[in-house]
Amino acid sequence: MLKYLIKRIMRSFLTLIIILTVVFCLLRLMPIEGYFPNFEKMTPQQIQVGLQEMGLTDPLPVQIVHFFQKLVHGDLGVSRIYRANVPVAEVLSDKLPVSIKLGVLSMITALIIGLPMGALMARFKYRWFDKIGTLFIVCIQAVPAAVYYLFIQLYATKIMGVGLLFQINDPKYWVLPVLSMSLNNIAFYGMWLRRYMVDESNKDYVKLAKAKGMSEGGVMFKHIFRNAFVPLAQYIPTAFLNTVIGSIYIESLYSIPGMGGLLVTVIKRHDNTMVQGIVLLYACVGVVGLLLGDLIMVMLDPRISLGKKEGDR
Amino acid sequence: MREHILTVNDLEIQFKLRGKCLNAIRGVSMEMYKGEILAIVGESGSGKSVFTKSFMGLLEQNGHVAGGSVVYYGSDDGEEVDLTSIKKEKDWMKIRGREIAMIMQDPMTSLNPLKTIGAQIMEAVLLHQKVGRGEAKAKTLEYLTDVGIQDPEVRFNQYPHEFSGGMRQRVVIAIAIACKPKILICDEPTTALDVTIQAQILDLIKELRHKYNLSVILITHDLGVVANIADRVAVMYAGDIIEIGTCEEIFYDSRHPYTWALLSSLPQIGVKGTDLFSIAGTPPNLYAEVHGDAFAPRNPRALKIDFVERPPYFQVSPTHKAKTWLLDPRAPKVEPPSVVEKIRNGGLI
Repeated sequence: MLKYLIKRIMRSFLTLIIILTVVFCLLRLMPIEGYFPNFEKMTPQQIQVGLQEMGLTDPLPVQIVHFFQKLVHGDLGVSRIYRANVPVAEVLSDKLPVSIKLGVLSMITALIIGLPMGALMARFKYRWFDKIGTLFIVCIQAVPAAVYYLFIQLYATKIMGVGLLFQINDPKYWVLPVLSMSLNNIAFYGMWLRRYMVDESNKDYVKLAKAKGMSEGGVMFKHIFRNAFVPLAQYIPTAFLNTVIGSIYIESLYSIPGMGGLLVTVIKRHDNTMVQGIVLLYACVGVVGLLLGDLIMVMLDPRISLGKKEGDR
Repeated sequence: MREHILTVNDLEIQFKLRGKCLNAIRGVSMEMYKGEILAIVGESGSGKSVFTKSFMGLLEQNGHVAGGSVVYYGSDDGEEVDLTSIKKEKDWMKIRGREIAMIMQDPMTSLNPLKTIGAQIMEAVLLHQKVGRGEAKAKTLEYLTDVGIQDPEVRFNQYPHEFSGGMRQRVVIAIAIACKPKILICDEPTTALDVTIQAQILDLIKELRHKYNLSVILITHDLGVVANIADRVAVMYAGDIIEIGTCEEIFYDSRHPYTWALLSSLPQIGVKGTDLFSIAGTPPNLYAEVHGDAFAPRNPRALKIDFVERPPYFQVSPTHKAKTWLLDPRAPKVEPPSVVEKIRNGGLI
């Protein structure tokens, strides 16, 4: 197990290095305008000097080595255009906490509401709770998010007595963005948990548990829930980590100063160092998320053992 | 005679399927004695499983008991319980496991893959025996030993996927035993196992019956299994028990043409070089009302009356009865097929 883990982490590092190298090389193909905020007004000499200062006239392999050397010391470089001459790490550390807080709160809300909702829908299949839940899920899935986001912003802000624009230090202002963001995930977890639980409840071990004399509720929560939760569990770490990406729509709707749309913006504006920094962040999130997802699966399902070749079932 | 533990009177079970009504069990009556092993045999779809599931309230959602009664005499306070009158889940929980337990066909799927087998057996102990966790664990280890699992302490903490099929079926049996039931329903307990393991599991059931004073209902379509273990045999066809008697009576002196046909289909009986016997036609459509003897259309020896009126039970001996007009005094004398003679003389079983 430990051996597998070490191997797996080493491999993750390798993946990261490959991703970064590829992105780094691709960005070298970009026009050099991206390195200077006031490119139009510069003379060719100034440009040449600027490029040399940044080490961009070196051969590509040398540049890559330099890039990784800096990276090891935690230096992500300096933003050139988005916020000229501010270190990338600083730009990110301003924006990240807001998005993470928003995202994590909404994920927790989604799990706290979505999982019990799915479980109860499965328990009372075809009864009124299930019907109402299904209606909710269908609405959330069928109506474009933009519509109900706007709806919530316009009407719920009035009901709650808060302004349209976000105020970061007032907890009241967090409620609506968090809720809006979690709606989709509530529907997701509710729908899949219900579905997996209904699937599980037709299995033989459930019949045996019932024949044993367990109550229906006992069977649901002691046997079915955990089995149904396993296939969902592996996505949860990724979902949590993905909150660093932020939500473009919610953040712009409420003017929340988060990560939402940042990558698109910096790509559009040719801010290459920012792009590198953000890609590194996203790649880390992806790789770590998968690793944690697999570990959770191992913890929940004894049939899955990491590192063993012989697949028993 | 011996004490009854269960009597079934005119039980009818119907299923609602796509707006139509399927008569799965059509007026079955039988009785079961304490401590016996009663085998129910019949082809797939004859209603064996449905029949016994109704004793535990485990019919599928669309099925219901439409008539008759199932009276259970085994409860500790000595009261008779009509199982068909139980409606609430809460009342069923007093019966399930505690009074009647069940072993299902496929041991590969009937254990929860995410729980240790120890936990799954202990769950049954804690549900039905008033003991603490420590004692429950000790009992669990004892049950594991009882069902023939080596190193119970080690096995206790293992998961189902670490067990072979036969071992899993032993665990399932241990779970059933841990409920301390009076009746054990074994629904094709050996069908999914390979032949060498089958015998072991049957021996285990025989052994446990004595140790725990169980009455066993064994559902099977394997007559070899029946001959091996059963005290009495009920032959089921199209939702009805058409013949019931002791094991010897059914094998050596059967009276119903369907039982004859079943026995003729035994591969052990076939003569080398000839085709295996098979029963012509298909079982009747249970959506429609069945007139007369359900087996008549497939029965070359059918009498005219077989198509008109349903035969009642005719008593052959105090322990043996069959539903066929052939036993009516007015019926022409029909010789059983040579198979019956062959089994009797050859002692094939």
